[in-house]
Amino acid sequence: MGVRIRLSKQTLTVLDALLTRPGQWQHGYSLSQSTSIPSGTLYPILMRLEKLQWLETRWEEAKTPGRPPRHLYRLSGTAREWAREEIHAAQERRFWKPAEHEA
Amino acid sequence: MSVANQERPAVARFARWLLGCAVRHWPEENRAWGLALAAEIDETWSAFETLKWSFGGIMLFSRSVLSSVWKWMKLPAGSSLSGGAVGPEGSSLLPKRSRVFTAVVLAVAALLLALPEGREAIRTVRASWQEYGQSDSDARTLEKLAARAKKEKDASTLAFVALSTGDPKRAEVLTDQAVALDPELIWIYGARNHWPKNDPPRQDWLARLQAADPDNAVPYLLEAHAVAGPRVHNLYDHGTPKDADFEVAESDSKWMALMERAYSAPRYDSYFQRHYQLTRTLWNREKSLSFVLVLSGLWSHAFPSLLNLRTFADVKIHEAQKARTAGDWKRAESLLAEVDAFGMRMAAGSGTKIEKVIAWSVSRRANKEMAVLYSSLGKTEDERRATLRVEQIDSSFQGLRPGHDSADHERAQTFQREALLVQGFGILAVIAVLAALAGVLMLELWPSRIRNAQTISRRVPCWLADYGPTTLLVASVAFLMSFLPFQRAFEEYRASNYALLNEERLLDSMWGLLEIPQYVTGVNAAVSIWTFVTVALSALLLFVLARGFYRMRRTVAKPA
Repeated sequence: MGVRIRLSKQTLTVLDALLTRPGQWQHGYSLSQSTSIPSGTLYPILMRLEKLQWLETRWEEAKTPGRPPRHLYRLSGTAREWAREEIHAAQERRFWKPAEHEA
Repeated sequence: MSVANQERPAVARFARWLLGCAVRHWPEENRAWGLALAAEIDETWSAFETLKWSFGGIMLFSRSVLSSVWKWMKLPAGSSLSGGAVGPEGSSLLPKRSRVFTAVVLAVAALLLALPEGREAIRTVRASWQEYGQSDSDARTLEKLAARAKKEKDASTLAFVALSTGDPKRAEVLTDQAVALDPELIWIYGARNHWPKNDPPRQDWLARLQAADPDNAVPYLLEAHAVAGPRVHNLYDHGTPKDADFEVAESDSKWMALMERAYSAPRYDSYFQRHYQLTRTLWNREKSLSFVLVLSGLWSHAFPSLLNLRTFADVKIHEAQKARTAGDWKRAESLLAEVDAFGMRMAAGSGTKIEKVIAWSVSRRANKEMAVLYSSLGKTEDERRATLRVEQIDSSFQGLRPGHDSADHERAQTFQREALLVQGFGILAVIAVLAALAGVLMLELWPSRIRNAQTISRRVPCWLADYGPTTLLVASVAFLMSFLPFQRAFEEYRASNYALLNEERLLDSMWGLLEIPQYVTGVNAAVSIWTFVTVALSALLLFVLARGFYRMRRTVAKPA
């Protein structure tokens, strides 16, 4: 069961990106590209979300031989609802506004 | 197309290599995240992107390492993040305090001792264990001072170093440099103590000093001591000197001429006051200087030789006795008055105890003989006057004896008690730091050996790591607090003009500190150490017997 906490602007951006395709697994690099958050900031957020059990992770076998397996992320079922609520509340408070996502 | 498929520039290759290194050293508990970040590097689109991604990876790595270190620090010494140092029976036997606690307590203790007050206390106590001798570090400090003074053409600092250094050749060079820069400092020619005999004062220095200060007896006395041959030095070798011994001494014409000049000189000044002012000014300017360094020059100040003065006084008195026997009582009276007058001049012009004692001793001998002379002449009034003078001198001697004044005695006793505390807490702090380091290092360096050791061998390092740092902190605070009276004595000495009272306070404080080191390193060290060992072993034996008795009673009280 996850825990709800106060979220930063960058965390809200990551949650928003993960909510774009809610059920689909996403890679770290593509999340970084879509949110423009550098890896040094993105991964601590992902680690924290995983610790709070908002994030589900799994390893994906490499499609190209010789490459390492890649890590995939998506929001858990309950966390999706909470993320939407947090994003909505943050927008109402004018604390955060969504960025333009790539199509 | 990802950069993986392109030709990789050197900077991108370097970024990958760097991230690879980071992953290899990533903390165990979140290494998976490092692998996840590193796996994405093949998806980057350009060399710049690769570099940026790696930089983020390094940031994450640093953060993970710091977080891991912090977690490790929060554990007790000897334990690891994966869980270690567990006893053979599975029971955990680790120190109770965390590494953070140990590190913070040790750091606070180190900080306290690194404060200027702490450094002064350590320097002083360390010096007391070296019998207040100059250390190698003191010699280096003097050299640095001399180099700076030479560069800045600071004559007084050069003079200070010349009077303080233990190297006679260096002292000679520095003395000349100081006087060349400031001729007013010519008195330093007569202030450096030139014993042992292989470091005699230079004749040209004494000649220049006599020319610059012709009315002062001291330059003549210093030269007389330097030129005195064995005929003078050996006067008392066979007990009370006889007529022949005096004749031998009197035949040293150069010595006799110099002593005559000294005895007839209108003034006596051993330059101690000037030396003191020079030292005080420098100590106020260079407050971080060790007091041993500052005072060593002052305490080895050149004073005229007691033996020399006594010998010449006895030669004069012997001459007076001969004149009395020959019936020339006027000459006898004149010779004795000459000796007495010199003694009084010397006592009036001297600022130190030792000089006063020498002066009174000379004067006393003359007055005693004068009483005999007047008695033989039947001059009762003059005899009474001379006897009274002898009594006055004796009473002055009494006044200078240690413990004569109850306030002085009390002060010396207080310093002795406080010194015991200072040395006690100092020793406790040293033991505590060694114990804490030993405990922590044993637990950190050989955790598996400690893990497999007997219970008592595991308990001791844990106990040392737990209580060593706290004991060190408490002992350091107590050490600094107990040193405060000594610091005040130094401060008063540094701030005051020269006065015997200030010097006595300082000396009392310093002799007090010597009390314990004398037991351990003095001539009776073996006796003290064996006494300590005997007492300690007896206490241990008593403890073992008492414990055995107690256990036996418990066994009897609780039968199986």
